[in-house]
Amino acid sequence: MIEIHDITKVFQEKIALEKVTFDIPKGMVFGIIGPNGAGKTTLIRILNQILIPNDGFVKYNGTLLNEAHVRSFGYLPEERGLYREMRVMDQLVFLGELRGLSRKEAGDKAMKWLQKFEVQDWAKKRIDSLSKGMAQKIQFISSVLHDPEVIILDEPLSGFDPLNINLILNEIEAFKNAGKSVIFSTHNMDSVDSICDEVALIHAGKLIAKDRVANLRSQHKNGDFKIRFRGNVIAFANALWTSFEIVESKEIGDDLREAVIRRRGNETFNDVYNQLSSALELTLIEEKLPGMQDVFVKVIQEHNQHEE
Amino acid sequence: MYLLKLFKNTTNMKNSLIIARREFMERWNNRSFRFMLFLGPLLLLAVIYLLIIAGNQGKSNLNVLIVDPTGLFEEKIVSNPSESITYYFYQDYVELEAFRDEKKFRTYDAMIEINEKVLINKKVFLFYRETPNVQLKMKLKFEVERRVEEVMIEQFTNLGIEDFRKIKQPLNVDFRDVNDPLNQSENEIAWVGYSLGYLMIFFLGIFGTNITRSINREKANRVSEVILASAKAHELMLGKILGILWASLLQLFFWIFIIALGLWVFEYFIFSETLGLGHLEGVQVSDQGLSQFGQSNPMMNYNTQMDLFFHRINYAFLIPNFMLFFLGTYWVYSSFFTVIGAMSGDESDGQQFVIPIWILFGISIFAGYNAVQYPDAALTQFFTFFPWTAGMVAMVKITAGVTVVSYLFLLLSWLIMVLVGAVLLYFAGRIFKNGILSFGHKLTFKLLLKWLKI
Repeated sequence: MIEIHDITKVFQEKIALEKVTFDIPKGMVFGIIGPNGAGKTTLIRILNQILIPNDGFVKYNGTLLNEAHVRSFGYLPEERGLYREMRVMDQLVFLGELRGLSRKEAGDKAMKWLQKFEVQDWAKKRIDSLSKGMAQKIQFISSVLHDPEVIILDEPLSGFDPLNINLILNEIEAFKNAGKSVIFSTHNMDSVDSICDEVALIHAGKLIAKDRVANLRSQHKNGDFKIRFRGNVIAFANALWTSFEIVESKEIGDDLREAVIRRRGNETFNDVYNQLSSALELTLIEEKLPGMQDVFVKVIQEHNQHEE
Repeated sequence: MYLLKLFKNTTNMKNSLIIARREFMERWNNRSFRFMLFLGPLLLLAVIYLLIIAGNQGKSNLNVLIVDPTGLFEEKIVSNPSESITYYFYQDYVELEAFRDEKKFRTYDAMIEINEKVLINKKVFLFYRETPNVQLKMKLKFEVERRVEEVMIEQFTNLGIEDFRKIKQPLNVDFRDVNDPLNQSENEIAWVGYSLGYLMIFFLGIFGTNITRSINREKANRVSEVILASAKAHELMLGKILGILWASLLQLFFWIFIIALGLWVFEYFIFSETLGLGHLEGVQVSDQGLSQFGQSNPMMNYNTQMDLFFHRINYAFLIPNFMLFFLGTYWVYSSFFTVIGAMSGDESDGQQFVIPIWILFGISIFAGYNAVQYPDAALTQFFTFFPWTAGMVAMVKITAGVTVVSYLFLLLSWLIMVLVGAVLLYFAGRIFKNGILSFGHKLTFKLLLKWLKI
């Protein structure tokens, strides 16, 4: 587990992080989210000991974060960087050695990863002869080559095409299943929805929310339900009208409609079912939770209002 | 302290060595680097060849006026003088200006002054209008020396000529241009040292700017952050300095080896025939007489350049010292190049900030010139201990020849260089640590101070 305690980082007169405190549990995909300039990258650099905080400390598995810990981390920075004139294999071996692997180990592991990604033919190619997406793959391999315990990925999906995004997401899933921690920083909320178990939301250098993704979405739900049914629309409206309002309704097939309804009071899922089941043939009732994008916007707005 | 701490930590050193190897391999994999390993020394050898050839040019027949007011030579020279030299005797004093300007002396190509002092200080001045070629210089020296020996034996000893030659001191014939009687360019051996110092600065300029460029490129590629996640900033800095040093040392070793090989080929194959003993044309020379000029071929002594390159330079002493002072100078300059790379906001910044270093190089070149011309001047003493010029001055002094005491002073200057370099590297490390992740910023003095403080 990583414990972040009261981290403050100031660049010249600008406060990048202010008393940020939270824990990152082991074995899950943890998202550090926030708008551009929120301080995510600064925090990630502190976790990698690239930057030293002005105040506060980080603990890893109960002891103060040290060089040996950081060597067991894998890091994919937001601004990707490789030596453009180096060959793929040389580059991977070099970065693997810096992470403590022997030359041979680094070479063997690099080849395994290249084979796994079906790009072993690139081993002797120079980086500057690869496309951006291809170079991204090599960069990803370089960050996980040494089989790290903690993998820190700063905007890992930017620059990838949908196929490769899938490839990376599968790898992240595999790391999680292997009991490793994945720290994932992004401002792309769609990816947070799909892969993060827990998130910390940072805004203007401050932690403004930290919870499991499901909890955050649930906390910010607005009482919408998605209904799919067969039957008369008027009967549907009549069945709802005292407790719910119809937000939208559309026909999606022969005699099949889909609608979004919003409760007027504290009605529950059961209330929806009880009110509709006698009047219509229901095929789906789903409590509509907000996406992380909506949660993100809402939390920041609430925070800004609170600050004012 | 900083460096000691760094060297004590083996993990740190391991990272630095991995980074150094990458830096070295980057250069080794560059075709122009490998090309320069051979092209550089071959060009230098070509220059040396031309210098030696130039030494063989000049007049091939001489009318020599021996000005002998005391009649020491008794109007005689050796029994079988060279056919290409005709000697004339003049038993009166001749002023140099008169020889140079008066019509009656115009038919003579050279003038040798002989007086009773010759027998004591063993020095003869020969003033020429046009530089004689090497062979003529050789013949002149031998023939005049033989005659001086005969006179000395007649006047001062009861020894036979062979016995006398065993104990005699060689005659120093000082060839001077009649238009440059003070012979300002006599200190050519010091100029060799100056050239070596210049070579040192040349290498530092090339490889030092490599440090700055390499840091700038890493910043532009954004690869610094990837490295810094695995290695500390000072490990990256030291690795970079070491790797580029290895590359420059490889160049140097190749240069030294190829030049040494080339000089050997010159001495034993290219110039051995043209400057061989056959040119003595019957002049009797004892073995002892030969040995005083060099190992095998006394004629070479008369080609100033040949003499310089093959006999007067003590390579066994010079080369290790060149390496020593090269390392010291690289050490003291590399911190500057590192700082410039680390604080640059973009590549044009880097080029701009290199200017102060080029000024230091300029001062260093001036210091070398100063040391050649005024070896004992106060300014030269200052430059000896000024870390950025010490390497250059040391080269001039070591090549020209140093006493034990002055050599110890040079070692002290080396020590100062190393210590100053260590202090500068400490500060360079601070700036590097804070500046390495910054790119695209506008560098201000305030920012620099801030980086130094953090």
